[in-house]
This record gives sequence, structure tokens and C-alpha cells, in this order.
Amino acid sequence: MTFPEYDVVIIGSGPAGATTARILAGNGFQTLLVDKRQELGAPIQCSGAVSRHALEETGVPISTEYIQEAIYGFGIYNQEGRANFIDYRKLKPDEYGSEAGKKPLGFVVDRRRFDRFLLTQAERAGAETWLKTEGLGYSLLPNGKCEVRLRRFNEEIKVKARVLIGADGLQSQVGRWAGLRTHIKITELASCLQFVVDRVETDGLLEIITGHDWAPGGYAWVFPKGHGYAEIGLGVIPTLTDKNAQWHLDRFLKDSFFKDRFSDSRILEIQGGGVPLASPLRTQYADNLILVGDAARHVNPITGGGIHTALSGGIIAGKFLSQFLLSGEEPSKENLKGYQDAWLEKLGNKMWKLYEEKTAIFKLNDKAERDQKLFETMSSYFHPESEYKKI
Amino acid sequence: MSSKTPVLFQIGWNACINCGACVAICPQEAGFISDFDTIAVDRPCDIACMLCEDICPVTTITHTEVHSAKAKK
Ligand SMILES: Cc1cc2nc3c(=O)[nH]c(=O)nc-3n(C[C@H](O)[C@H](O)[C@H](O)COP(=O)(O)OP(=O)(O)OC[C@H]3O[C@@H](n4cnc5c(N)ncnc54)[C@H](O)[C@@H]3O)c2cc1C
Ligand code: SF4
Repeated sequence: MTFPEYDVVIIGSGPAGATTARILAGNGFQTLLVDKRQELGAPIQCSGAVSRHALEETGVPISTEYIQEAIYGFGIYNQEGRANFIDYRKLKPDEYGSEAGKKPLGFVVDRRRFDRFLLTQAERAGAETWLKTEGLGYSLLPNGKCEVRLRRFNEEIKVKARVLIGADGLQSQVGRWAGLRTHIKITELASCLQFVVDRVETDGLLEIITGHDWAPGGYAWVFPKGHGYAEIGLGVIPTLTDKNAQWHLDRFLKDSFFKDRFSDSRILEIQGGGVPLASPLRTQYADNLILVGDAARHVNPITGGGIHTALSGGIIAGKFLSQFLLSGEEPSKENLKGYQDAWLEKLGNKMWKLYEEKTAIFKLNDKAERDQKLFETMSSYFHPESEYKKI
Repeated sequence: MSSKTPVLFQIGWNACINCGACVAICPQEAGFISDFDTIAVDRPCDIACMLCEDICPVTTITHTEVHSAKAKK
């Protein structure tokens, strides 16, 4: 039996995998992109906030197909409800706004539609795309290629590839196949729950609520979700509380300084997930394999945002491999290290710095001091002059 | 940690929101996953660190100890 052969096989079609596939297929490489889901993005494990800059920088066309609401800035709250507003409609009124000729700062997207849109872009660039296809394992072949085992609907299929890309998200198994150290500490994974609700007003701002009382180890959020809906959620670090995220969210809805604002809310959807407030993986490559996106823990350790870094990681991986595959060199781990070097230079070093900042905050033993520091850090993080504005 | 008694996890499927946090925190090798993308429920876990129970946002993972560890596969 002959196995289908590709230059690259990509496991996982989230923002990271689909972007990698778009670049590689666009450069003429035989690319197979697989995802185990039947509908990408579902069940939703994300709030969907992404900057306009992130989309533009990574070549994702801005489209009403996936946008739920435009965003113009931030409101950062401390535990008592005092807020710093960073509203670009006021800071730069000539540039930002909903009027014709002005632009938004970012968007809240529907991940179901967004991920499908990104898959379409990859497919139109020439990638083969298989849904309902789960990656099961990989092994190295003597000829310098690898064999990837997949299950597509009921059928087990083996395909050959020069490079396998693990873009399979935070639950990544691909890294574990290669024996990479992917383990994340319980003190650095926020347990998150969010509701999409009706009857809660928002005003084009991403609202972030800090304070140990509301979200120990993490923060709470209120995001506009389009059609008059809002998203209310929070993430907690399990070692800092003996209650679960559900209990904290319930308390935030009923007892916080927003309780009047939330009093009439109706829950329309329930979602959750784990958000790593952690450092990137130290090793994101192995023989014939690289990891990208959440799988490599390309997540902003202060905000937990990972869409931008997944898109950017996909571009970096796609560009690196486009050059590498042309060189004809063996995809050994020594040779693929160049991918991680390129990533560190572009993004990773900044993320390490953010990680150290975040670690310093949560090392503070005094609760009030820690709360104050988190509030300040969040406020300055989103400030127009922030050095991290672009990640 | 390996001196702990192996456990078999149970998941309250009605409460589970399919968020994947339990799989993300799990220190097991590749493949310790159920058909519903949670940690495995069909074989014992010999690490028994219980981190999955701690991370679950809706606390719907429970366990029973498996005393004849090797007997059950
Ligand atoms: C509650 C919550 C809120 C968040 N809010 C935001 C936010 O507002 N803004 C932001 O920027 N980020 C947010 N994030 C983070 C963001 O969702 C992730 O960082 C982002 O989705 C990472 O993209 P990815 O492509 O790396 O992985 P994913 O989007 O997780 O995609 C991985 C894909 O791989 C597939 N897959 C996994 N295993 C296999 C397998 N074995 N075989 C085949 N396919 C497989 C999955 O089905 C999935 O489609 C949030 C996360 C959570 C949990
Ligand atoms: S952590 Fe809990 S809610 Fe999330 S998938 Fe696992 S069992 Fe389900």
C-alpha cells in the first residue's frame, strides 16, 4: 500500500494551524491540515477578543463573517470598582470610532466563524483540509521523513510528511508524542468559565476586573458580544482558592460592584477552558516536528490572550518552513531549532519578559499589594504607550 | 507521587462543558483522553495527582480508588 505523501501535515486547525497551512500552501508546498472537530471552534473555549493590528499584520482579511462587535478600548477595574478607561475614541478621536473613515481598535470574534474563515483561507491557498480527522501518533522513517497516523471518520490512515506540525492547542498531544516537556504547573493554569448573556449593557470596551476577591490569581472580564449581548467570565488559579470558577463567577454576578448592572442578565451560552498564564515551552521542536500556537504555549502570560500569538506563530512557522523545505536539509531537531530561534526573536523574548513580570506580581504575599500591582500592570499594559502593545 | 493508590476517574457528563482544562493539566503521557476530550475514564490513573479535579471549572470530576491496580486495564 502506498501512503499519501505531503511536505507538511498540520494537526489542529485553530488560528495557529490554519495560518501555518495558508502560508505553506500559498508557497506551493503539499500541505495537509487536519482537525478532529466537526465544526471548528465549537464547543467554544475562548472569548474571541483580537486586535485589528493582529489581523492586519498576519494577513487575515477583516470580515463581517466572523466579527461580532468592534472594540475601541479598555476599562481596567480594581477590586473596589475604580476604573482606568483607555478609550481610543477619546484618545485619538480622529482615528478611532464607528463613523465612516474611522477604525476600530479590535474586535470580538465568533470563534466558530473565525476558525472556519481561517480554514477557508488555507484551503483556498491550496491546502488539503480534512475535518473529523484525529491525529493519533507519528514515527520517524529511515528516509528522513515521518509517518503520521490519523483517524478520518472510521478509517485509520497513514500519511507521510517531511515535517509534522503540532497546532493542537493547549491540550496538545503532539508534543507529548515527541516526548517534549509540555507539562504545565497548576499554579499557572487559570480555570475559566464564561457566560454569554443578554440584558447587560456594554460600550465598545473590553472590561477587565482585577482583584483577589473576584478572581484569585486571574481576572474577570465583561466583553461586548454583538447583538446587544455580552460575555461575562473569569479565570482563577485553583491553588489560590478552595472554590471553583463556577462559584466565583456566580459571586461576581451577584455580589460585585456590578451586581445592579448584571441583575437582569440571562444566560445564553456557557463556555470555559484553561488559560495558561505561563511561559512559552522551552523546546518547541523535535525531529521532523515543530509546535505552534497554544501547543507551544504561545500565550500572553499577563492577559492569557493567544489568538494574536497563534496567528503570528503560524506566520513565523510558515515562513521558516518555506525556506527550510527548499533547502533540502534534513528536518532533524538540530535543523528545526531555527524555527524556535526565529520565534524567540520576533515574539518569544517579549513573552518571557511578560512572564517574569507576571511571576513577580503573584510572588507578592500581601494581597492588597498584589491586587494593586496587578491593576497597575493591566492598566499600563493596555496603555497606548505600552511596549507590549503589539503582542 | 507514584506511591499513591491508582484511581479511576468519573465525569459528570451533564455538568462537563467540554473545556479541555483537565487534559491540559494532566501530567500523563499522550493519549490519556476519553472519547469526549476529557481525561480518560476507562482505565486507572497511577499518578493520582488529582490536578484535573482541581482545575475543572465546574468540579465535575470525581474518582474511586482502584486497589488491584494491575488487574483492571
Ligand atoms: C475561556 C477562554 C477565553 C479566551 N479568550 C481569549 C481572548 O479573548 N483573546 C485571545 O486572544 N485569546 C483568548 N483565549 C486563548 C485562545 O483561545 C487560544 O490561545 C487560541 O485558541 C490558540 O489557538 P491555537 O490555534 O493554538 O489552538 P486552538 O484554537 O485550541 O486549536 C487547536 C485545534 O486543534 C484541534 N485538535 C486538537 N487535538 C487534535 C488531534 N489529536 N487531532 C486533530 N485535531 C486536533 C482542536 O480540535 C482545535 O481545533 C481564551 C482562552 C480561553 C480558554
Ligand atoms: S475540566 Fe471539567 S468541564 Fe472541563 S472538560 Fe474536563 S471534566 Fe469537562
